[in-house]
Amino acid sequence: MTPRRMNGYPAEPSEPPWSRDARATWRLCRSVVAIASRIVPRGGRAEWRAEWLAELYYRLLALDHAALLDGAARRDLVVRTLGALPHAVWTRQSEWRFDMLMQDLAYALRVNWKRPAFSLLVIATLGLGVGANSAMFSVVNAVLIRPLPFPQSEQLVYAFGAFKGGDQASISPPDFLDYRAQTRAFSSFAGRTPFGTAVLSNADDPERVVAPRVTSNFFSTLGVQPMLGRGFLPEEEEGGSHKVVVLSHGLWQRRFAADPRVVGRTIPIDGEPHTIVGVMPPVMERIFGDQIWLPVPFHTEEMSVRRYHMLRGIGRLRPNGSLAQAQADMDAIARRLEATYPADASWRLRLVSYRDVVVGRSETVLLMLLGAVGLVLLVACANVASLMLARATSRESEIAVRTALGASRGRIVRQLLTESVLLGGAAGTIGLVLSVALVRGVHVFAADLLPRMSEIRVDGAAVAFTIGVAMLTGILFGLAPALQAARQDVAAIMRRVGRSTGSRNAIRVRDALVVGQVALSLVLLVGAGLLIRSLWVVQRVEPGFDPRGVLSAQVTLPVDRYQTHDAVERFWTQFLGKVRAIPGVERAAAATMLPLAPTGDTYYFVDGHPPASDADKRTAQVSVSTDDYFATLRIPIVQGRALGPEDRALGSDSLGYGTIVISDGMARRLFPNGNAVGSRLVVDVGRPFRAEVVGVAADVRAFGQEVEAPDILYFSFRQMTAFRSGRNMSVAVRAGGERLQLAGAIRAALHTLQNGVPLANVASMDQLLHDSLATSAFRTRLLTAFAAVALLLAVVGLYGVLAFTVAERTREIGVRVALGARAPRVVAMIVGRGMRLVTLGIGMGLVGSVAAVRLIRGMLFGVDALDPMVFALMVTLLALGGLAACLIPARRATRISPMAALRAE
Amino acid sequence: MPSPRRLSPAAVAVLQVIARGVRHGFDIMDATGLPSGTVYPILGRLERAAFVRSRWESPTVAQREKRPPRRNYEISGAGSRALAEAVEHYRTLSRGGRGTPGLAPKPQRT
Repeated sequence: MTPRRMNGYPAEPSEPPWSRDARATWRLCRSVVAIASRIVPRGGRAEWRAEWLAELYYRLLALDHAALLDGAARRDLVVRTLGALPHAVWTRQSEWRFDMLMQDLAYALRVNWKRPAFSLLVIATLGLGVGANSAMFSVVNAVLIRPLPFPQSEQLVYAFGAFKGGDQASISPPDFLDYRAQTRAFSSFAGRTPFGTAVLSNADDPERVVAPRVTSNFFSTLGVQPMLGRGFLPEEEEGGSHKVVVLSHGLWQRRFAADPRVVGRTIPIDGEPHTIVGVMPPVMERIFGDQIWLPVPFHTEEMSVRRYHMLRGIGRLRPNGSLAQAQADMDAIARRLEATYPADASWRLRLVSYRDVVVGRSETVLLMLLGAVGLVLLVACANVASLMLARATSRESEIAVRTALGASRGRIVRQLLTESVLLGGAAGTIGLVLSVALVRGVHVFAADLLPRMSEIRVDGAAVAFTIGVAMLTGILFGLAPALQAARQDVAAIMRRVGRSTGSRNAIRVRDALVVGQVALSLVLLVGAGLLIRSLWVVQRVEPGFDPRGVLSAQVTLPVDRYQTHDAVERFWTQFLGKVRAIPGVERAAAATMLPLAPTGDTYYFVDGHPPASDADKRTAQVSVSTDDYFATLRIPIVQGRALGPEDRALGSDSLGYGTIVISDGMARRLFPNGNAVGSRLVVDVGRPFRAEVVGVAADVRAFGQEVEAPDILYFSFRQMTAFRSGRNMSVAVRAGGERLQLAGAIRAALHTLQNGVPLANVASMDQLLHDSLATSAFRTRLLTAFAAVALLLAVVGLYGVLAFTVAERTREIGVRVALGARAPRVVAMIVGRGMRLVTLGIGMGLVGSVAAVRLIRGMLFGVDALDPMVFALMVTLLALGGLAACLIPARRATRISPMAALRAE
Repeated sequence: MPSPRRLSPAAVAVLQVIARGVRHGFDIMDATGLPSGTVYPILGRLERAAFVRSRWESPTVAQREKRPPRRNYEISGAGSRALAEAVEHYRTLSRGGRGTPGLAPKPQRT
């Protein structure tokens, strides 16, 4: 060590008996040295100063005596004195040397190694906080923060069709063409069907793929260039002879072995040959999940009806254009269209930033979870702070000894800093590993629950940030008391060595930290409790049908071989007959819409009461099914009868009345007097369809248990010859026994009738029902895990404080016991102190919870955000946890024997 | 601890001057022609490496001369060895690299 404190180092020289010049030079140089010496570390400052001043003095004395102190000599001397500045700087920075760092590191390792419990606790706590936070932030960053992977993605806007009955509808193709032709706000306005599938049969195994119809400018609007070939040409929107297809990257790899010469080949799609014109890069399927794209056939009959809404718009704003301007532009066009086509009035476009559409409802959930995990980090930091405080307090004497042995404050700070950084580094490593594992877990367990899943990866910035926060906590709370100790009177601390240490201040801070931890944990517990209860309620909502033992699958028949309704009907009759013959099958039915897979709605009105205006138009979901549908799904008929063989096909003159079954809620609303059966409805199925209500079916939660049961119109398959062709239906099969085998048997039955038709989306209705709650279950599980971690940390924190209190008061407790205090009294003392903190924390936590539950109110189902039961339960849970944390140290306190306590002195 | 190889030319100069018996900071500056901002840090480094030792002049001597005592530097045994090695090292370098790893031409394989 350079600067030794010398005992007999020379005193500052007094004013010498020199010439005036020498005196002036001396004063100047002395003040330069004085200023520079401020930089020198305190330990060696006096010696450093003494050396400089002695040299200067000697030199001045010599020069003055020899009368050599001319101007040049004086200047040289001052210049030389200025060198004291770099010298001083060097002395300071030279203390930060690598070997010293290694020495600090080795010491830090030794210190941490000797207290494995402390070190592991700090590392585990911080690691947990860092890992969970960086994983969560990685998800949030990928989904919410990072822009969409399209050039200038902020210019992209999504367009819904909007009318009085809803603002998330589609746009009719003729309207779309008018908007596209007239818009000024968009540099490009494209359209696509939101749904659409097609059967691809280029190889032995036909496959149903996601196949939306898109306009020719769809890819260019997004700014995506094809990897191979080209996108669509404007004339390909015409439909008819242009049978072309663009493949997604994934499908190209999977079904075409990434063949670069695939462009130009012809493949059968829905039984018709299509020419492959291009392959799109992976980004397209990442965002859309599409597998192939087909052009919108604008000139087909179906696409020419202004009443049929089937497209969504994606537009690119002109540079510097705003969403509001675009909305105004589209509204103006909508008004013009309204004037031109009064029959389809009241429709307009609702524009939403495309990013918001992609992110959707996940935003609130993710931000809620991010907030929750942030609270966990806070609790973890509080724990670490508390541990560091405790340790710094117990190391006061060590620091005092080192100070007494000549360690400078900087040296001690550096040492403690090294220790904190070492712990932080270890915690960071654990956190990194944990966050990689968690992000992988998100990919596995939340695969379809979040948008932009494939973009989620561990975020380096997030990891660095959380480690930084964690380290800062450690440094702040490890250093502050140490600094205080280093500043304190060494002798005073040394005198206290071995006896109770710990300043009042540190104890108060640790108490406050425990209170904060308890409060934060309660907030998380209440949130988790509410979500759990909500999920519990939702899971017990009657879906309105019996999903147990029902297998569902989709069948799409090729257009070319099933041109007429008769052919389609014959197929379904034969197919269902074969399915029913499979051993174990109880019932089987087919329908255009099964619960949990709604397809679309239509207008209707009570016969004789047409809507006065557009605003009065009512819509309901449409389900066209074979007989046996209600029996297969066990949907109770509450009035009248189910659809059956007696609902015969109507004659070619569509003037006759058909038959219809309506859902219960709808029946009650339309016919409050209970006379639904026998009344008549007019349903828009492309043309007015008049039908007599023959039955009322119980309400079915067709959108999942969380959503109110929609109004549903049930039609017999035999009467709906035109509206839905019946080529695309779902089958529901109720059977006992092994489901996988059942699927195989159904597939075999299908292929004996029609080869090359895939049995798609095979799933048990049980599973579908379960999956419909997956998002709720996912966020509930995550929040519960966070709350559990926070609770654990809070309990550990409380335990730590109390254990420390007991250790600190060993002597006092020993004396009390010696004076006759009984065990219950000692326990009450310790538990009382702990529970005071818990109670305080619970009080603050309740206030925080009431404020915080507002954030999750929208996620609750059938539970009030201030549900007293949940609050009471969580407070009890927390109090019990706190009590458990108190009891261990309390028990230890009762075992203190007075003799041992006094001997410990 | 820095190896003799890592002694900078300036450090070698300082060490040489001390070895010749120049003992005070300012005198070392005069003898080497190096500025104070260079010489003192070198002295600090050399002392930390135990190549030089420093001692404070006896107060009685200083008092007799009516000035504060100065700090004396002297070379240690390790310092003399390090100096010799460093001098040898720089001499080899200036002779064109003989014996310096990586600079000598490789023997031709025949």
